[in-house]
Amino acid sequence: MRTRQYILNKFIEITIIFFIILTILFFLFRLSPGTPISKMVDPSFTLEDQNLLIEQLGLDKPAFEQYLIYLKNFFTGNLGFSFHYGEPVSNIISARLPWTILLFTSSTLLAAFVGVVLGKIAAWRKESAIDNILSLSALVCHTLFIPWFALLILWFWGFKLGWFPLGGTLSPELWITTCSPLIKLLDILHHMFLPLMTLFFIHMGSYLLLMRSSMLSVLKEDYIITAKAKGLSEKIIRNKHAAKNASLPVITSVGLSLAFSINGGALTEQIFTWPGIGRELIFAVSNNDYPLAQACFLLIAGVVLVANLIVDLLYAYMDPRITY
Amino acid sequence: MSKNHYLARFQKGWQIFILNPLGKTGIILLIVFMLMAASSFFIPLLDPMYDPMTGIDPLIKESTGPSFHHWLGTDNVGRDLFAQLMEGAKVAFIVGLASAFISIVLGTTIGMISGYAGGITDRILMRFADIIMIMPSLVVLLILASLFGQFNIWIIVFIIAIMRWPAVSRVIRSQALSLKSRPFIEASKVAGASDIRIIFRHIMPNVLPLAFLYMTFRVTSAILVEAALSFLGFGDPSQVSWGMMLQWVWKSGHMFQAPYWLIPPGICISLLTLSFYLLGRAMDEVLDPRLRKEEERK
Repeated sequence: MRTRQYILNKFIEITIIFFIILTILFFLFRLSPGTPISKMVDPSFTLEDQNLLIEQLGLDKPAFEQYLIYLKNFFTGNLGFSFHYGEPVSNIISARLPWTILLFTSSTLLAAFVGVVLGKIAAWRKESAIDNILSLSALVCHTLFIPWFALLILWFWGFKLGWFPLGGTLSPELWITTCSPLIKLLDILHHMFLPLMTLFFIHMGSYLLLMRSSMLSVLKEDYIITAKAKGLSEKIIRNKHAAKNASLPVITSVGLSLAFSINGGALTEQIFTWPGIGRELIFAVSNNDYPLAQACFLLIAGVVLVANLIVDLLYAYMDPRITY
Repeated sequence: MSKNHYLARFQKGWQIFILNPLGKTGIILLIVFMLMAASSFFIPLLDPMYDPMTGIDPLIKESTGPSFHHWLGTDNVGRDLFAQLMEGAKVAFIVGLASAFISIVLGTTIGMISGYAGGITDRILMRFADIIMIMPSLVVLLILASLFGQFNIWIIVFIIAIMRWPAVSRVIRSQALSLKSRPFIEASKVAGASDIRIIFRHIMPNVLPLAFLYMTFRVTSAILVEAALSFLGFGDPSQVSWGMMLQWVWKSGHMFQAPYWLIPPGICISLLTLSFYLLGRAMDEVLDPRLRKEEERK
């Protein structure tokens, strides 16, 4: 019952925060240089055309009324038209979203899983050769400059060796000629391999370091000594007693490092021309397509807020000592 | 506490710091980068063609590999890559240090106020900090760029700082909370000190070392975000930063043809990040005795 109350409170909080973000964006848009329509017309428009457009878009109404229309449109799912594509923004977003989800979740899960396992081993064999190698390479992965690393991977595996495609998500000619779903799936995986590897290495480093330090502090706890005194096997102590508790902070960090992962994801999508939300945002910003950029931004902000709530709840579920 | 006491504490800390292999590597790397940044002031004086932004070698029409006159080669319009790399070090230091400094000042002030005031002020400030903390700074910079167009380097620095204070203020707040109930604060309250005086005169000296530790971590993230923004083509077009060099190699389509152009800026960004990270870790150990190795603690 308490938990339900907590979730409800948090949900209300998130809604309010989202509302504040919407409001800030609305006012920033009004503050931005140029007339409201200067972002969508080219200089060849006559003055009458411009006035007509202002009237059509309701931009001649008072600010407060515009704000209400803006909110109403947002909550009825009308996010406006993309200037570049000439399509409703919501169509573009829903076409891009699956690709981002596919790349993002698979790389995060893979990186977290491998990072936790390797971090466990590194901490268990503290200060051995294997620990030094793992920690050092994790540190290098952690401090790499993401776009540069992505470019190097693309250059080496895609260009030099030519084993993997240079970008995109599928080869169109293959999709026209074959209809076997297995080949289609393999084609997507083939295209996904390089961006996946980039994100995997970058995130794996930080998970490994975190798991290692968390595991080291857990290993100092009394109950580990008790377990040893009871004569339990090393493997059971390591995997059941220590690693399970030590992986809790890693779960929280998935939420906290989401901001970092989104930055990295956008850069990776951009370099591997992966048609996801991050690349669309960058594209929209460079083409002055404000409605599209705004929708991408709001989507990312919303995901970040909800993901943090989920991480909170997951943490409480996994650690019975925490109640809300 | 006398001046001597601080000096002794500093010397002891320095000894731990310099004995630490992490700290030593970090310092050496950092010195190399400082020399690079310093040399950027002298290189253009040798010959105007070594100016990182406007200097063009009249004999070169396209990107060429390393040669005697151009140690790292030139870009596609004949600008010297070595000079650009040195200039990039300077820009990275300016961006990193300025933005870290602003975020530390903001974070420390807000953290102290929040911890000392408590109650509703504390709750509002910390919720606010939480929200900013989870927002991806690059994405926020992108949406702002779409609204306001290309930013000047100082505005980028300032926005990064605004995105980066919350982590600092969280730590400072918890310190201020524990300091608040100490007898010396009570004493100065009884003596009639104002809240502002207590915060800046009595709490601040105690939290500053921690704030400076956090500064090293802030430097890294600021450099990375600026580099990423420049790489995407939304940086300050009048500054030659490492991210900008990568943007040029990518935009001009030389990415696969010119490894001598692609590789150095990325190595520099990664190594500079690494050096600040190592520095921060070593300072962590100086300030937090629990992290030191067993034998050193005895």
